[in-house]
Amino acid sequence: MSSRLAPPIRRALLLSSMPVYLLLYAPLALIAIFSFAPAPGGQAASLHWYGALWHEPDVLAALRRSVMLALGSSIFGTGLGTLMGFGLSRFRSRARSGFAAAIPSLIIYTPIIMPSLVFGIADLIFFNLLHKATGLFAAGLLTMGIAHVTFQAPYVALVVFARMSGLDPNLFEASHDLYANGWQSFFHLTVPVIRPAIIGGFLLAFTLSIDDFTISYFTAGPGSTTLPIYIYSAVARKGVAPDINALATLMIATVIGTGLLQYLFTRQKERRPMPRAGD
Amino acid sequence: MSGRLPGSLNAFIAEPVPATITGNRAQHLPMSAPVAAAPNGSIRGAIALEGISRVFGGGVIAVDQINLTIQPGEFFTLLGPSGCGKTTLLRMIAGFETPDAGRILISGREMQNVPAHLRAVNTVFQSYALFPHLSVAENIEFGLRMRRIARPERKLRVDRIMALLQIDAFARRNPAQLSGGQRQRVALARALVNEPDVVLLDEPLSALDAKLRAELQVELMRMQKRLGMTFVFVTHDQHEALVMSDRIAVMERGRLLQVGPVLDVYEQPRSVFVAEFLGQSNIWKFATHAGNVAQTPIGNLVVGAPIGTQRTAMIRPEKIWLYPEAEAPGDRPNLFPGTVREAIYQGASTHYHVELADGAMILALDTNNQAAERSWGPGEKLVLELKPGNIMLIDG
Repeated sequence: MSSRLAPPIRRALLLSSMPVYLLLYAPLALIAIFSFAPAPGGQAASLHWYGALWHEPDVLAALRRSVMLALGSSIFGTGLGTLMGFGLSRFRSRARSGFAAAIPSLIIYTPIIMPSLVFGIADLIFFNLLHKATGLFAAGLLTMGIAHVTFQAPYVALVVFARMSGLDPNLFEASHDLYANGWQSFFHLTVPVIRPAIIGGFLLAFTLSIDDFTISYFTAGPGSTTLPIYIYSAVARKGVAPDINALATLMIATVIGTGLLQYLFTRQKERRPMPRAGD
Repeated sequence: MSGRLPGSLNAFIAEPVPATITGNRAQHLPMSAPVAAAPNGSIRGAIALEGISRVFGGGVIAVDQINLTIQPGEFFTLLGPSGCGKTTLLRMIAGFETPDAGRILISGREMQNVPAHLRAVNTVFQSYALFPHLSVAENIEFGLRMRRIARPERKLRVDRIMALLQIDAFARRNPAQLSGGQRQRVALARALVNEPDVVLLDEPLSALDAKLRAELQVELMRMQKRLGMTFVFVTHDQHEALVMSDRIAVMERGRLLQVGPVLDVYEQPRSVFVAEFLGQSNIWKFATHAGNVAQTPIGNLVVGAPIGTQRTAMIRPEKIWLYPEAEAPGDRPNLFPGTVREAIYQGASTHYHVELADGAMILALDTNNQAAERSWGPGEKLVLELKPGNIMLIDG
């Protein structure tokens, strides 16, 4: 499409996009640069503040909780989201027009569009009531996990749904035609075919959970401080310290790494047709 | 010239196709080991549709009270324009759709409420629907695996069908790495390896180029004859239907207009729709007649049979005889002098659009075996003979 634009216009567009990218990535780069600050009394760039992190038990505990929370919630979020995406794609194939056809997108997009502040406060009130009524669901990792699953599942569903919609509907009929019952078709056709989407969805869910602050903050309890919450309270307490820069840089690296992994997995299975000569 | 086209078609279908027809490929085909054959007199592979109807949402009647019997081992074609209900009918036999009324019997057993995976029927889809995550061999093996057939037997049967269809060279390849023709063969192998009672084919050749399509038409036909399975083939391509089928059913708006051997349906269409859909035709309505002389818009036509209630006369373009003006036989009925308005050379034959004295147009076809001695250009005069025996009468 860009090739149709005249070269001067293309150059102007490229130029005007530069400040946008600068504003997006310069702060991240700045934090990364500051994280290599010299050790106290030193002059040269160093890894001192990364090392210092390992000697802070609060940081390590928060890291452990974050990873546990992210892994646990991602497993449930992916499972639920996969079934959601699968079910919604099946639903869509039956209702082709009218309001009923819009329901799948509505169900998927509403939790995604909803501001996390609204979600967080709603969860806070909900779990509070639940705790008062049942004595269970005390604010802590469990309530945080449940809250995380609720925002992860729609994202996973979206990825799975997109994959399902791109498939030839005859594939599923073909599996039944070849003697597969519903379960066999699901496990021998659906799951392998959407596996890249499931893995991609899992990684997406993981990144969403590991850096979530707003919803975590409202659903956390005593002793369930995760890394983003720790960073927030540390910054509030003592301002931006060099060790926080190191911690933030590690988080950025994790999220970018997981994102890349997810990209690779969703692309991997898309093999291009390569017709052979002679037939 | 008269009757040669249908005659040669008949021979084409009734007798084994000589290996030379499809070129050297055929000579490499192993001519043994049929995968399955219905024993004579058995009803395995028979299909009976009794009063089948299917109404879609919005009250669209896709299939309207169809009664049809398909014989075991028959190559049966459902022919019709898009939207005529032929694919819906096929999908009901496969089990992807449930009829709203009527019974479906496959091999003598009532099947209309049996889910697709419990029917001894396999489908070749228009889109092929090969499983993208499995190799060619694994695709073919899928049905046997789902039926929990032991691994050694699975391998044996997959190898045999791949050899038969000459796709063993790319057994390990992914479907995305195959050409259209290769995919088509894999889809066929995936159905045939299960030795089903019935194979359903939903326009399986429509995505291929003309030459490959012609090649596969013959191959498909030969495979069907060798294996003895019932094939139900859906197409909108009248040429394909003529070439491949034992019998055809012409469908329109959810109804069967005519069912019969290819030759009968082509030679004796019972409705204007069938006459026009299958092959080309000149059709005239007439209101009055005297004995076996129909008073048509182009003049009095002597027809071969006594006229009953029919009010339409039809003749195929290839059954019209053409003479240079000087050579016209003067003593015979149905001679029409005319002027060529358009001559469309088609290699083996030429189509002439001829304007008669009163301005009516008529389409005549001449084979080019005598092209050197006899051909007409636009503006040239000739005489057409519509022999009474070649004129068909149609109801309505």
